[in-house]
Amino acid sequence: MNRRSFLKKAPIAAGAPLMLNGLSLQAMAEQSPLQRLAASSTNDRVLVIIQLHGGNDGLNALIPINQYGRYYDLRPNIAIADKGNRGVIPLDSTLPDEQQIGLHPDMLGMKELYDQGLMSIVQSVAYDNMNGSHFRSRDIWFMGGDYDEYIDSGWIGRYLDQLFPGYPDSYPNEEMPDPLGIEIGNSVSLGFHRDNGIPTSIAISNPQQFYNLINSVGVEPPESVADTYYGHELQWILDIEQKSNQYAGRLRELYERGSNSGVQYPEKYPLSAPANSLRNGLAPQLQMIARLLSGGIQTKVFLARIGGFDTHASQVEEYDASMGIHAALLYHISEAMKAFQADLRGLGLENRVMTVTMSEFGRRAKSNGSYGTDHGTAAPMFVFGRNVKPVVVCTNPDLNDLNRNNLKHHFDYRQVFGSLIQDWMQADDATIERTNFADFITPESKIELVGDPITSVDAIQFKNERYYLKPCSPNPANGLTQVTYRINAREWVMVELIDTMGNQLKVLVNEEQIAGEYSLTLDVSGLKTGTYIVQAKTSGWQDTTKLIVVR
Amino acid sequence: MASLSPFSQTLGVKRAAHLLRRAAFGATKSQIDQFAQLTPAQAVNQLFTQPAEREAPRDPATGTDWVSPKPTENNSGRDELIGQTKAWWIDSFLQSDPCVATKSSFFLHTHFTTISNRLRYAPSIYYQIRLFDQFAVGNFKELTKCICLDNAMMRHLDGQLNRKGSPNENYAREFLELYSIGKGPQRGPDDYTTFTELDVVEAAKVFSGYDIDEEFTNINPELNVVQAKVRTNDQGLAAQHDSSTKTFSAAFQNATIAPIEIVGNLATAEAAIDEIQQLVDLVFDQEATALHICRKLYRFFVYYEISDEVEQDIIAPLATIFRDNGYELQPVLQALFTSQHFYDEDNSVNVDDHIGAIIKSPLDLIVGIHRFFDVPMPDYQGELTSFYETMNQGVLKPLTDQGMYFYEPFEVAGYPAYHQNPTFHRNWISSNYLARRYEYAKKLIEGIRDQDGNELVKLDVMAYVTKPANISDPSDAEQLVRELVDYLLPEEISEERFDFFLRAILLDDLSEINWKFEWQNYESTGDDSAVRVQLEKLFNTILQSPEYQLS
Repeated sequence: MNRRSFLKKAPIAAGAPLMLNGLSLQAMAEQSPLQRLAASSTNDRVLVIIQLHGGNDGLNALIPINQYGRYYDLRPNIAIADKGNRGVIPLDSTLPDEQQIGLHPDMLGMKELYDQGLMSIVQSVAYDNMNGSHFRSRDIWFMGGDYDEYIDSGWIGRYLDQLFPGYPDSYPNEEMPDPLGIEIGNSVSLGFHRDNGIPTSIAISNPQQFYNLINSVGVEPPESVADTYYGHELQWILDIEQKSNQYAGRLRELYERGSNSGVQYPEKYPLSAPANSLRNGLAPQLQMIARLLSGGIQTKVFLARIGGFDTHASQVEEYDASMGIHAALLYHISEAMKAFQADLRGLGLENRVMTVTMSEFGRRAKSNGSYGTDHGTAAPMFVFGRNVKPVVVCTNPDLNDLNRNNLKHHFDYRQVFGSLIQDWMQADDATIERTNFADFITPESKIELVGDPITSVDAIQFKNERYYLKPCSPNPANGLTQVTYRINAREWVMVELIDTMGNQLKVLVNEEQIAGEYSLTLDVSGLKTGTYIVQAKTSGWQDTTKLIVVR
Repeated sequence: MASLSPFSQTLGVKRAAHLLRRAAFGATKSQIDQFAQLTPAQAVNQLFTQPAEREAPRDPATGTDWVSPKPTENNSGRDELIGQTKAWWIDSFLQSDPCVATKSSFFLHTHFTTISNRLRYAPSIYYQIRLFDQFAVGNFKELTKCICLDNAMMRHLDGQLNRKGSPNENYAREFLELYSIGKGPQRGPDDYTTFTELDVVEAAKVFSGYDIDEEFTNINPELNVVQAKVRTNDQGLAAQHDSSTKTFSAAFQNATIAPIEIVGNLATAEAAIDEIQQLVDLVFDQEATALHICRKLYRFFVYYEISDEVEQDIIAPLATIFRDNGYELQPVLQALFTSQHFYDEDNSVNVDDHIGAIIKSPLDLIVGIHRFFDVPMPDYQGELTSFYETMNQGVLKPLTDQGMYFYEPFEVAGYPAYHQNPTFHRNWISSNYLARRYEYAKKLIEGIRDQDGNELVKLDVMAYVTKPANISDPSDAEQLVRELVDYLLPEEISEERFDFFLRAILLDDLSEINWKFEWQNYESTGDDSAVRVQLEKLFNTILQSPEYQLS
């Protein structure tokens, strides 16, 4: 769109002092907008929100295996088996009984993230008097309000508006040359709207195409706009046009400068599901976010979307409940997130990004006659990142305490978003006020989701509690010695005795085992005096311990 | 104070163009001039002339239509037939004389939206469109009853899966929330003021026990519409219909609905259908229903924001007219289109300028350009293949690019512009969508081509300008520009803006005498290269202006 107007209106020339709304830096020194502006860029942290559009059936994603019988009775026609090849994947055998979760078999990607301490689960999230309408409930999640509130802005929009005062007129500028928020796709959702003026996000699908398009069309805008309804709509269009001009070139530059780390992003669901649900629509979105970040983008909040969760009918394949639309979607999220985290790690960005899922509601605990589920209430939220506290928050939903066949909730969605805004994005009190989350992060209500960012101690410790190889006992040994190890998934394990040159001397274990601690006896009476190594490994873990043999 | 009182002065050009853009899909300059001489009452009368019924869409594969009763294996594939049906309907918007029936038929689709790729069957879409055409300016309550039994709607909201003992509430919920009474503020768990969750459950029972008529032979003789059928047993009784008495909440005065004839414990087929009539009558007896529908009409035809003043002075009286006329649409639309409010004549202060205050939908934009410039399209009666190809490349694809997936909105509630609070029509504008709107004008003026480079459709500026009915004297530059902007742009533009179009764009900052000379040169030599270039620049500038995006 017309670049002449862009050049006319660009507020910052290289080398000019930083201006805010036309006043120079010095004059603004005492005023709060400047202080807020300074506070905003103390961290380079990013929040990625994945919207699961349609209402995700949490109960078939996280099967409460401690209540398996009751689970099955509620939804026999869509129940996931508790054993067998296409049965649940037990999440974590160290969790107490009332938190024992079996993941849907196609969520292997998330299991791996969990085992590496990169994922947290918050069970049973909703809000009081949950609304059964997609549109209204989704609006509530985005507006950050109660069931009976009607707010014209979204919490993300208010957050960004607080962080970046003076938008859109004073942007882009040297401090913040990039869009405040980005939505992948073509349209802007309520989440990024502010109380007045254009929303805080730009919606894009592909930066190169976007750039080419924007620069090939559009004309000089009118000089002035009247204060009438007509004028307001005209101003809306003009503001969007101007922002498009300003950001198009920048986004293309960032995209070209950036790259992905060579990680393979998933493309298709490999098993049986309807044709139009096989393609992974989430992966390219996360891939683009990673690339823009690697290019240096300073956008603070990204929104990606994946739809198809409104599974009133045919949620599963009739002949095999472990496959079908819902399975494909869970697979898409798990594999895409796994690739995304690996990509971020490869790009050196892992410490900057946290990702959270949201959905307008869960689905009814009792299935319907169409192999599906109707609109429900509580559902889990997943949080991913190097800095997440790898926990499962709260017990499994109580299937004997339903409300008209719906799950009761334990948490309000604002507790999750509030915790992330405060601890991850490090928002100050004024900012939190604007998001409307202040009441949801009081000492009584706060959920701890973010771990120590410096050393990621939580993640390492988390892993060490679940996978370990203990020192042999006795050590030194000359006869029998005990080898003890633990794995946290059903997987292939190899435990072998090797010498210091790396030659394999004995294979102790070479089979698929289920999660748990194992102890076996090793007879070293035939070995010469010296140092040996016991090595245990699975596809995602390896550890060794020295064993000294004396005669 | 807003007022529905009739406006009785002659329309003039600006108001005539406004009426034709809003109540219909736009018009040519001659038609605008003709309407400009009429009063609103005379003009609206003319707009209510019912267009002749059109032949069914023809399939190039067979050369004939496929609607009696449905396609055979000789016809084109499923998805192609659906595309042909969409093209056939849009053709009625392009070719008909200016009339309310076309616009209102489209309004009914935005209200009772179904999504074509959930239906995947052209006959169901065809018969639904016929239903909308039939009731476009007819009885809305009767239409609602027909929609409850419409095959397309039944498939769309899983109505055929709703059976006694195995209820599916999808249709019942949307029937109450979207199509009839609408949702009020949520004043407690499960209570939306105008209806409650209990009413959804009871309504679902009323709608239970039907099946889609895949043969499309089940015709309602009174109304001559194809409809779904009751699932009957050998005795002709409604075997899968819940025949119990349904008791509604206090929102419906605790009314009950029961079958009027029961044999054994099953309702007769007629009694089952009668229950739907009873339910629709019950819902329409509530005041809230007329108000809800009138608000939708207002947002579609006038403006998206409904202030308290408008609610009291416009919506409430319109609802009264609606009720008093037994829910006929024509009296309501007639009152609206002849009112002072519609022409902004009810206030002395100009702040609420309704003229120009709606952002055109992509359909309004594309059809409006076609109609105003009388862009030649292949003759539907003649070259079928060419017609469908042109519609695909020249209309359906641009609609999608601009954010209107025709007959396929992302959401069950339909295109966001017509329901998404608070942004409504602003949903048509994002960086991408806006750029695509501009790009459409540019491509149409260049000529839209197929993959082999053959021209399919083009807005030829010379063809337009050389017709005296359009431009009285093309050699007079100022007059030429006037005759375009006065008719194309909804509101007056400033002197500077006019000068921009005239001097900077058309004249290239040269004199008007120079233009006269260039034009006369073209007339004597037939070489239009110089004037064509300038005219194309002018047309591009006007059609790619932000002002042109408004209606």
